[in-house]
Amino acid sequence: MTKTFTENDLIRYVYGETSDLENNEIESALLCDVEVQEHFAQLTEITQQLNSVEYLPSENTVKTICERAKELNLQSIH
Amino acid sequence: MSKNEISDSQLVTLYKNGDEEAFSTLLTRHKNRVYTTIYLIVKDRYVAEDLLQDSFIKALKTIKSGRYNEEGKFLPWMLRIAHNLAIDYFRKEKRYPVVVMEDGSKVFNTLQFAEDPIENKQIKMETHQMLRQLIQELPEAQKEVLIMRHYMQMSFQDIADSTGVSINTALGRMRYALINLRKRMQQTNITYDQNLYRK
Repeated sequence: MTKTFTENDLIRYVYGETSDLENNEIESALLCDVEVQEHFAQLTEITQQLNSVEYLPSENTVKTICERAKELNLQSIH
Repeated sequence: MSKNEISDSQLVTLYKNGDEEAFSTLLTRHKNRVYTTIYLIVKDRYVAEDLLQDSFIKALKTIKSGRYNEEGKFLPWMLRIAHNLAIDYFRKEKRYPVVVMEDGSKVFNTLQFAEDPIENKQIKMETHQMLRQLIQELPEAQKEVLIMRHYMQMSFQDIADSTGVSINTALGRMRYALINLRKRMQQTNITYDQNLYRK
């Protein structure tokens, strides 16, 4: 079977931006094309790792935001 | 129904009508993602904390004034506010994001990590730390697309429009960013393993 999608299309697929038609084509290739399987596995591995990169704001900052939310709430009531 | 099961859109409406707890739930749900996006742009913990406050306060005022109209897509809207404020910060300071070299690792070391009780914390921490460093070392154009697509959840078309390039260029930059990150992660892991198992 001739592959008609590009590496960029595979990235769009990983991020859920491909059409149903493109999905069918890519998923068919994923079933039988080792090269596509490998490339897909590499992309999903790194994107999953990116999901785990997370910074946490300090508790003080979160508290300050909550206080401002409370103040704005009171202002809108009065 | 607990607040955690309510949609963002419903929480916004509840806060607008005076329910403070609804906003608290929204904040808990999204603060880390918004903060991560800001931090990856400004690379300064204290500036990122200030901008996080500014972003949420701006959102609060917009909601209270009745000008919020994002058809239920709270997080992308919130991330756009944060992104714009981060970019404004650089314009005002006449500073632009620069690539952090090896000495930047001290900054990362002072930050807190998200906890995961299942996996080995030490290994995961090292992987996270390495990946965060590698993101900062990406060429600026690649890093910009990566942050916009992965953390801000913008579509490739929206990224292309807002950065003034074609969608293929945006996709190409993302592809190189992912390839670079993976390659560098592998290289670093190999070096790490060789050091670990050296006789």
